[in-house]
Amino acid sequence: MIISKLKEALICFKAGRVTLPYPFAPHDPEDGFHGRVVVDAEKCVGCGGCAEVCPPRCIEVSDPDPDRRVLDFLLERCTYCARCAEVCPEEAVTVTKEYETATNDLNDMHMHIEVFMSTCRRCGRCYEPPTPLDRLMVTGFRPPTGKSEEA
Amino acid sequence: MTTAELVRALRHDFGAAIQSVEEPVSDKVRVAVTPESVVAVAKSLYRDYGARFLITAGIDSRKDRDGFDVDHIFSLDKEQIFFIVRTTVPSDGPHVAAITPEVPAAAWAERELQDLLGVKADGLLDGRRLILPDDWPEGVHPLRKDIKYGDWPPLGDGTGEATYPWKPAPEGTSTVVVGPFFPVLEEPTQLRLYVDGERVIDCDYRGFYNHRAIEKMGDSELTYNEIPFVAERICGICGFIHSSCYCEAAEEALGITAPRRARYIRSLMLELERIHSHMLWTGIAGHILGFDTVLMQTWRMREPLMWLCEKISGNRKTYGMNIIGGVRRDISRDLYPEILSVVEKIEQEWAQLYDAVQGDTILKARLVGVGMLPEETAKALAAVGPTGRGSNQAIDARADHPYAAYDEVPAKVITHPDCDNWARVVVRLEETLESVRWIREGLKEMPDGPVMATDIAETVPAGHWGVCTVEAPRGEAIHYLVTGGDNRPDRWRVRAPTYANLQALPSMIKDETIADVPITLGSMDPCFSCTERVEVVNMRSGEAETLTHQELLTRSRAATERLRGR
Amino acid sequence: MARAILEIVLSLVILIGLAPLAEGLLRKLKAIIHSRQGPPIIQPYLDIAKLLVKEDLAPTESWMWRVAPALCLGATIVVAMLTPIGGPPAFAFGGDIIVFIYFASLAAVAIILGAFASGNPYAYVGGSREMMMMLSVEPVMTIALAVAAIKAQTLTFDGLMASPVTSTPSISMVVAGVAFLLALQAQLGKLPFDIAEADQEIMEGPFIERSGPGFALFRWAMHARLMIFSAVLVSVFVPLPNLGIPVLNMVLTLAVMGVVLALVGVVDVVNPRLRIDQSMAYYARVVVFVSVLALALAIVGH
Repeated sequence: MIISKLKEALICFKAGRVTLPYPFAPHDPEDGFHGRVVVDAEKCVGCGGCAEVCPPRCIEVSDPDPDRRVLDFLLERCTYCARCAEVCPEEAVTVTKEYETATNDLNDMHMHIEVFMSTCRRCGRCYEPPTPLDRLMVTGFRPPTGKSEEA
Repeated sequence: MTTAELVRALRHDFGAAIQSVEEPVSDKVRVAVTPESVVAVAKSLYRDYGARFLITAGIDSRKDRDGFDVDHIFSLDKEQIFFIVRTTVPSDGPHVAAITPEVPAAAWAERELQDLLGVKADGLLDGRRLILPDDWPEGVHPLRKDIKYGDWPPLGDGTGEATYPWKPAPEGTSTVVVGPFFPVLEEPTQLRLYVDGERVIDCDYRGFYNHRAIEKMGDSELTYNEIPFVAERICGICGFIHSSCYCEAAEEALGITAPRRARYIRSLMLELERIHSHMLWTGIAGHILGFDTVLMQTWRMREPLMWLCEKISGNRKTYGMNIIGGVRRDISRDLYPEILSVVEKIEQEWAQLYDAVQGDTILKARLVGVGMLPEETAKALAAVGPTGRGSNQAIDARADHPYAAYDEVPAKVITHPDCDNWARVVVRLEETLESVRWIREGLKEMPDGPVMATDIAETVPAGHWGVCTVEAPRGEAIHYLVTGGDNRPDRWRVRAPTYANLQALPSMIKDETIADVPITLGSMDPCFSCTERVEVVNMRSGEAETLTHQELLTRSRAATERLRGR
Repeated sequence: MARAILEIVLSLVILIGLAPLAEGLLRKLKAIIHSRQGPPIIQPYLDIAKLLVKEDLAPTESWMWRVAPALCLGATIVVAMLTPIGGPPAFAFGGDIIVFIYFASLAAVAIILGAFASGNPYAYVGGSREMMMMLSVEPVMTIALAVAAIKAQTLTFDGLMASPVTSTPSISMVVAGVAFLLALQAQLGKLPFDIAEADQEIMEGPFIERSGPGFALFRWAMHARLMIFSAVLVSVFVPLPNLGIPVLNMVLTLAVMGVVLALVGVVDVVNPRLRIDQSMAYYARVVVFVSVLALALAIVGH
């Protein structure tokens, strides 16, 4: 019993102190980390592909008038899967390494993008789905609003 | 025995009761039988052919054939066969004979069938509600197609009374209520212990307090490609298991083959997940016993693995890598040496830990001979995972129904004959080492190539089905999928391993002391769902309101003031 | 008179005032073994200060609930005044070993009564476990002290500290000292014997309903036990040489107390919690061991 306790103690002491003095010394994520997404409004063509594939449906698309498409990113629902960045044909959606997103003000998690649809007005879906199965979603059924996450 | 021989034998025994046989994929059979003969067929499968009951899936098929399908899913482990017994009951006052009296493991599945589909199971000894809340109105069954997702019927019967018919306390016992907030695991579940002094004589269980209606969401809201991400959130620890299981079942139903490399990546991630889950569990088990050093040290050893997973997938947990047809992210060959060095460091430290705790008599005093689950009980209740394997049941989906890359690189099944909490600890400790071995082998064998299938059909036909089991760290997860129109499944049935194991709890804690209940429950690595909000339901009006921290505090203050008479 | 008051103040500062610091050091030790940063050493003071200014939420109107924390800390303060630290205790009069044991038990009884008064089932289980632990640990402590009393032919700490029994090694005192050390682990509520509080089983049992100042007093009393019982162990059972100067004696005693508490802390960290039946059986064996061996040896004069 004593020997086993000594072995256990040895495991403990051999490791030394491992915890980081977070938040004074934050741990930087590796490349390819899925942090908060940002959208470059200049590049966005308003295809809505990101909204189509977003599993938690946190991107709301609306067309207030024929020339204008509005994308609202409600990032408090984001699950950091990066599907939006994967399908974006213009690479307008990028994933950053930012992970300290806790906030008291929900507006900090909202992004509002307005795109003038002067050239792509008729097609509306000018992105290339990554797999043929994804193409199904183009004809697939979607509920009118994103109000479905509360069980 | 092949499926053809089995079907021939059943036809011989039951004749015209066997109505039709489908075998879209080899070794996965669905047999339609008449409602009158379902019990006899199930009994024969269980008794004569050694089939193990997995789960029952009820399907509302009223729009196609004016009835409800009841699919009992069985597994013949040695023969690697899935055998589904389907019976269709008329939609008017649906009822079916319960198989539970003959196949005890089906108890919860049939109670759930009554709750969610409203198909009455005749002959259940315990036909109480399992999932629906106490004040849920009679006759409203959420999984029926005429109930929309998010519909909420008026609760209560207007009297403000809603009680659950708890088992009466046996003579000479007092009742200790643990839950609905279970303090040890900090999760919503309720156990009523009927105790004589410190000794537990009997117990009763009520759970599903935070049922999330994910199956309902799957067949009425989500699309095929969204489900993997929701499936991954069924569990916070073994999420990848559920997304893999769904994807494999869906690929089977849709006739898609994932590329070899994608299947290897799935297996690799599953094994990484098993390692960190077992390490997490070992820490929690230590914590339950007050041995926080085990918690701190195992989690310290685990942390590099979490960082590795973050590097591979972009996310520390809930990787979001699976999608129907393959995986979304390839693993660069440059990462192989790092993967190996991380897991081999774990292997070395884990071996030291295993060696140290084996001689720890104080630790063993709390584990050896406690929480006994005899072999025959484990078999009858179809306990899975380390809970079953700790009772000498060689059940492991990786060997029984190889999926992902386990057909090419098999994993060793680890069992222990002692049937107690210590046996379950040993099984997990050894499985961790076995997973490291698999990763070493698997990385060696991993082929190059694409990670995403390209031969995906443009349309998905309705009525196809697929079934898959994946060995989660806690046991075997089952996903059964029937395709539908609307780009979503007609029915997506999920069974998480804890569903099977929890049914064995009453026999495990019987005659133990109250102090041993937490570790015995903990030894099956239970996984309930978690919530951090407080919801208060007004029993009179049936209205629910969610309290914030501040509101809860205000109410507590008011109660103190009232008691002090100020 | 002034000197007597000074001595009382000094022993209270050491045994009560420095107690949270001892707890802080133990937490740091725990953190080192856990491979983590750990809280600052003064964290227990901060905890107590925070609890003192928070509100006291009450689950019941029972008066017992309200007085229990004050009773517990008050009894502990009396015990502190009776505790020898390398020399005679500050507040000395005849028969003080018995008074010491009496007030030490009163502090534990206050916890139990407070628990029963709360009406919470977990507190009730915790209270009854505390009672069973008390019944199995107090005899060990009492018999160990009785061995010393028989050896020195006196019932006062004054007499004990003056007698050669506490400064020269003898077999019976070593056996009694070991028994006292074994009892210390449970007296201080440390693993593997923190059964009454059992965070993961019954969520701090007796204290589950406690918040604010009431909880702060209990916490402080629990910290003070660390100092008090280790001071008795070192002063009575560890044969330290008399350095002639009371202050030096006190410093030496405090240093050895540090070693004893570190030992208690390490045992606390490398053990799981035992069940109540297992720990009662364990202490029953210890009682037999000391009562037979040490008492017999003491009576025949070894």
